[in-house]
Amino acid sequence: MSVIPPAVLDLRIAPPDRRPIHLWLPLFLLWPLALALGILALVLTILVDAVLLVAGQRYHHYTVLLVRSFGALCQTRGMVLRFNDDKTTVDMTVQ
Amino acid sequence: MSEDRSRILNMLAEGKITAEEAERLLDALDSRASATPAGPAIKGDPGPLIEALPKYLYVKVEAANGDNVDVKIPIALVRSGLKLTSLIPPQAMDQINDSMSEHGMSIDFSNLKPEDIDELVEALREMEINVDSTDGDKVRVYCA
Repeated sequence: MSVIPPAVLDLRIAPPDRRPIHLWLPLFLLWPLALALGILALVLTILVDAVLLVAGQRYHHYTVLLVRSFGALCQTRGMVLRFNDDKTTVDMTVQ
Repeated sequence: MSEDRSRILNMLAEGKITAEEAERLLDALDSRASATPAGPAIKGDPGPLIEALPKYLYVKVEAANGDNVDVKIPIALVRSGLKLTSLIPPQAMDQINDSMSEHGMSIDFSNLKPEDIDELVEALREMEINVDSTDGDKVRVYCA
């Protein structure tokens, strides 16, 4: 199981009667920001789960939910979405 | 013929794997059968078996008016997504279930257990849906 989040979003848009647009979006540049926010969220969820546990609540799985959500995000690598009508083609690849 | 053997041959017939990959899979099956006649554990390198498993779910829609949608989703993402459902807070899950039943899908995700999800995803690998509507729209869902 990959634990590397998506690094690049490759977006191609081919509008009618115009030059195709090819965007190569370096998502890896957002990794440091995402890491900082992730750590903050992790601390917060651990605190919330601890409070819920002490309060006797049945549901106290926000930390696991956060970690699994990150795991799901990592699994988006390799996803391809392609839409086209008779005029425009949109092609998106997560790498 | 065992179920695994016929499945490999079907995959070969459908062109999902090459003859070489089929041979490797059959060899792996044979070695498993001779090493553990009654046990479920795989002996030897499971690499070829894992490599030959479909990794993506494809959804292709070809509308008669020329609109096409082509989606390739990693099966690992499907598995992760389904496993996330067991962790959704109960209040949110109730809302999701209500909303889905309003749209005609009476699936209670809170009843999905991790072992059910694994079984579901494994079954998904062999699923194939072909819809050809009378007005010319085509929908294909399959794993490869």
